Amino acid sequence: MDSRGGKITVALVVACVLLGGGYVAYAALGPGETSTDASPSAGRSASDVAVMVRAVDPSSPALNGGVFVVEDGRVRRRSEDLSCERVYYAAGHGICMGVAPSGVDYTASVFDDELEPQHSMRLTGLPSRARVSADGRYGSMTVFVSGDAYLSAPAAFSTRTYVLDMKSGKTVGQLEQFGVAKDGAPFDAVDFNFWGITFDPTDSNRFYATLGTGDHHYLVEGDIRGRALRVLRDGVECPSLSPDGKRIAFKSRIEGTNRWRLHVLDVATLADQPVAEKRSIDDQAEWLDADTLVYSDGENVYTVPADGSGEAALLVRDATSPVALRSSR
Amino acid sequence: MYQVEASKALLKPRLWARRSARLRVPRNVIMLGAVSLLTDVSSEMVATVLPMYLIFSLGASPLVFGAIDGTYRGAAALVQVLSGFTSDRWRRHKEVAGLGYGLSALGKVALVAAGNTVGGIGAIVAVDRVGKGIRTAPRDALISLSSAKDKLATSFGVHRAMDSVGAMLGPLFAFGILFLAPARFDAVFVVSTLFAILGLAVLVLNVEGKPRRAPREGSPPRFRAAAALLEDRSFAPLLLAAAGLSVASVSDAMIYVGLQRTIDFEPAVFPLLYVMTAISFMALAIPVGQLADRIGKVPVLLAGQALLFLVYGVLLMTSVGYLALIVCLVALGGYFAATEGVLTALAGAVLPEKLQASGIGILITVISLGRLVSSVAFGALWFAIGLHSAILIFALGLGVAIALAAPLLLRAQNAALDG
Repeated sequence: MDSRGGKITVALVVACVLLGGGYVAYAALGPGETSTDASPSAGRSASDVAVMVRAVDPSSPALNGGVFVVEDGRVRRRSEDLSCERVYYAAGHGICMGVAPSGVDYTASVFDDELEPQHSMRLTGLPSRARVSADGRYGSMTVFVSGDAYLSAPAAFSTRTYVLDMKSGKTVGQLEQFGVAKDGAPFDAVDFNFWGITFDPTDSNRFYATLGTGDHHYLVEGDIRGRALRVLRDGVECPSLSPDGKRIAFKSRIEGTNRWRLHVLDVATLADQPVAEKRSIDDQAEWLDADTLVYSDGENVYTVPADGSGEAALLVRDATSPVALRSSR
Repeated sequence: MYQVEASKALLKPRLWARRSARLRVPRNVIMLGAVSLLTDVSSEMVATVLPMYLIFSLGASPLVFGAIDGTYRGAAALVQVLSGFTSDRWRRHKEVAGLGYGLSALGKVALVAAGNTVGGIGAIVAVDRVGKGIRTAPRDALISLSSAKDKLATSFGVHRAMDSVGAMLGPLFAFGILFLAPARFDAVFVVSTLFAILGLAVLVLNVEGKPRRAPREGSPPRFRAAAALLEDRSFAPLLLAAAGLSVASVSDAMIYVGLQRTIDFEPAVFPLLYVMTAISFMALAIPVGQLADRIGKVPVLLAGQALLFLVYGVLLMTSVGYLALIVCLVALGGYFAATEGVLTALAGAVLPEKLQASGIGILITVISLGRLVSSVAFGALWFAIGLHSAILIFALGLGVAIALAAPLLLRAQNAALDG
């Protein structure tokens, strides 16, 4: 029985090696692209401001897409090399986060005004949000991480948010390591998650972000050099500061769900009101100009007035991750 | 010619004897180690790519992944007590373990055949975890029943080391395949299925279902006998000690989160923490097991627990250099090597032959419940008084738990020697 069992085992090992090796070889020769050739098209509404987007293939939205600029109703591909899931750009410095060629890993690159990659780094999670300060000095990236299950709680997810120096491409901070204060006292918990940085347009050392803990999603105000965060109010996710720094567009969660409405709050009073977009939007909105938001539903890019009036309008079809190129025009 | 042959023949067994005096492990344990190695390669291959597969190929959101991940970790819980008792009752440890390995293998086949919906993957992942819950207790009982009582810790050390080799190789295979065939997750699933089938085949074809210490006579144990283990004069103190120690130990997930807060990592360094801990565990599991068989399981177990103090010490430092980090990770690996396997070995020595799987099933469940309590308590303390104070309290608690566990474990060990 023993030697017969041994012989059968050896035969099975040989068979499995041949079968597995053969299948991998077959797969290696077949298709398995990580980026799409899809290209966006202009929607019915037009904008004076040029908008950078990344193309999305509606049937495989997680494939990297090319970086395009939509201007006066015309769509141009800006770079043959750059291919991302999330893109941002300001003052000659950009961030492009996406799937690595292996399809199992993620990378980010920092690119220049010619859209040439300057630095690249491995990401430890799925790309979520990217921002660059208006002066191009700092950048930020948020990734989803699957490694930290503190408890075996269902729906436990974890994010990590980094601040980058855009010149060197190096990480200068990770929000998990910043000190947090709430009502003047130190505030900490094991389930702290941070996401969605937006930089102050007048002082890039200052920023806002979301701190998630328990059922709360706090708007926090941050200081990069001081490595400090201060809780301002609850119920604000993915904040985005207006060009004058006086209003914040954000995702307001419909209680108890993973659905959100876009709202705009006044930084001075922290009071908010919804915009006219009625659908659930999971995006960090961008300000097209002083009065208009631009955002994506995962398939197309829309605009909506920031004051709650009017209605949502399709700006670019088959695109996500809009960036208003205000200063460069 | 004949002379040379003869002296060679004389020489060979002597050399072999000298080597095997250092590490003599029953063939059955090696085979069970091989089963675990192959199965771990299979499941770690899938675990490595599953988040990316869900989000990249199926377009699921990370929140959905969180829910599935929760299933992944939670599904096994109480299955192990039941499967442990059933395999004792039927005296079919190999067959019950085989059912567990078979379920996981079936899950991999289903992943290849029908793994293109998020709900389907959730179900497959749950089946895989139930399979793991079913197989653990009878598998450990087989390891124990295959080993002499004074070599139990070595056997478990060898098994755990082989198991962790599989856990290390799985991600390497997955990345290797995706390097050759970018974004072809199907190739990862196919190879993972083949590993799962091989693991099951080694179990069926090469593992002896009735090893040396396996009970052959007497009536099959009743459920009442298994339940009476909770009051057994040698096993009950061991359970109590295990519960106390697991509640007082900060879980590794928490330790990694703590390190992440303390140390300024480049993002890409983070996965290396797990790798270093795993290497330390892999290297130490066998020698620590041998040491436990030589000088006693209880002192090794308690010394391993005390290694956590080093880890806590590093977490309390305000600035952590690479040296401190390496010390911390090596200590963490040593802690794993000297605790889980050695504790199971001690249980194997204490438990009657006919209730091995039942007892080990209860022990594993107690430890996992203890860890859950520990995680909840640590999270609550962290929130209430901050990371550093929480660690100080847990360090104090660990000291108390070790002091209380020592007499309990010695009582269990002595009872085993008497019995």
